[in-house]
Amino acid sequence: MRFKDYEIPDELLYSREHEWVRLEGKEAVVGITDYAQKQLHEVVYVEVHREGSGVKQFENMGTVESVKSVSDVFSPVTGKIVKVNGELADSPELVNQEPYGKGWLARVNLADFSKDKEKLFTAKQYADFLRTLAE
Amino acid sequence: MYDFHRLHAKMVEFAGFDMPLWYRGIIPEHLAVRNHVGVFDITHMGRALITGAKSEAFLNYVITNDVSVLAPLSAQYSVMCNENGGVKDDFIVSRLEQEKFLMVYNAANRQKDFQWLVQNAGAFGVKVEDVSESVAMFAVQGPSAQRVLQRVADADLSRVERFKCGFTRLAGCEGFVSRTGYTGEDGFEVFVWDTPVDKPDKAVKVWNAILEAGKEFGIEPCGLGARDTLRLEAGLCLYGNDIDETVTPLEAGLGFVVKLKKESFIGKAALEKLKAEGVRRKRVGLRVLEKGPSPRQGQEVWKDSEMKIGFVSSGTFSPLLQCGVAQAYVGVEHAVEGATVTVRVRDKALKAEVCRFPLYDSAKFGYARVK
Repeated sequence: MRFKDYEIPDELLYSREHEWVRLEGKEAVVGITDYAQKQLHEVVYVEVHREGSGVKQFENMGTVESVKSVSDVFSPVTGKIVKVNGELADSPELVNQEPYGKGWLARVNLADFSKDKEKLFTAKQYADFLRTLAE
Repeated sequence: MYDFHRLHAKMVEFAGFDMPLWYRGIIPEHLAVRNHVGVFDITHMGRALITGAKSEAFLNYVITNDVSVLAPLSAQYSVMCNENGGVKDDFIVSRLEQEKFLMVYNAANRQKDFQWLVQNAGAFGVKVEDVSESVAMFAVQGPSAQRVLQRVADADLSRVERFKCGFTRLAGCEGFVSRTGYTGEDGFEVFVWDTPVDKPDKAVKVWNAILEAGKEFGIEPCGLGARDTLRLEAGLCLYGNDIDETVTPLEAGLGFVVKLKKESFIGKAALEKLKAEGVRRKRVGLRVLEKGPSPRQGQEVWKDSEMKIGFVSSGTFSPLLQCGVAQAYVGVEHAVEGATVTVRVRDKALKAEVCRFPLYDSAKFGYARVK
């Protein structure tokens, strides 16, 4: 679905901090939403905690920089980072071009997704949330 | 004007104004100015007219540079200081007539500067008039700036040299141009008289005419974002970041606008003393040598991992150089071109090189480029 110019794929889950989660078995792929990348604009540097690091839901897992700003990225799930998107080192603009595709940030081995899930938005809920931000 | 910006730009609040941060993006806007031409709405800046028989003497008392060398229709960059030699503001002053000057200063300092001028004007019997509200101001910057603006201006702009100015009609409106700017590039700052915010017709007319004339040159409307990245690369100071009342122009590398030979001016004693003793820190350019985050204001600068030697006063990702760049204050002994230092960004220590300004190759970019 969409809200204004922002794409919100139905099959993903979302956080209030504008990260998305795609469940793949016992792992989750995470990234920042179309709304987040449009707010940041022109991403020039992405840094995600090292592979092997533990991350906790809603705690810092890295930073995204645009030309003039630095933003924290908060992990939408709890677990261990098993892979970071190495392509972003040379092509951080992928976060702008394909926030839900090639611009993914990390793959996380999940600790207890049923618990994480309780605090995440569905696409519909996230769209409603963006509407409240726009008001 | 506001309608245009709101429709086309990502907006941001700045010094009490709702301002465009970017239209198409900081990177394309920045590159348009370095390679072709861009136009900025800088109406938010402060403007004051100083008139009277003693206006030259007054200015020479309040500011550090010497306006007696200015012929009518010429401009100079200067600062004014407090008694301690700290910078109250930096600005461009133009001599319009023998006894009439125009000062253009920072938006954030509009009230402060005007009050300071008025407070010191009494003894000289000059008139200080705040004309910020009735004048619109645009900057047309980049190697194609003259060709674009010539299509809008009646006067022959090829005769307006760098740091000179002139009255002209612009798209039929009464105006004034000065060959100055805040990007490091050739270009003009354009003034449209008598167009207050609630009657912006003339401003809108000139703005649209510049955009239209610039189309075939690849003009971009540019926001505050590109204004900042361009001035940072060029080594120009941003008040509140690189200079403020706790920094002297000598430390900031602005000694060229401090004329200690003048009989007296506010801050002279302090600056003379500092000059005799020698400054302990200096503003330098930094260019990050490795991939990573960009330096940002307030971050520490170290020599190897042993010694803190200074701090970043402003930093950004450079759209032209494709790396992090900064302006920083470091101890004089470290302000050596080519020296390697580290900038502490969160948990990282980034290698950076001390550079002179501008940070780009001035044979290829900037007003002095080889054509």
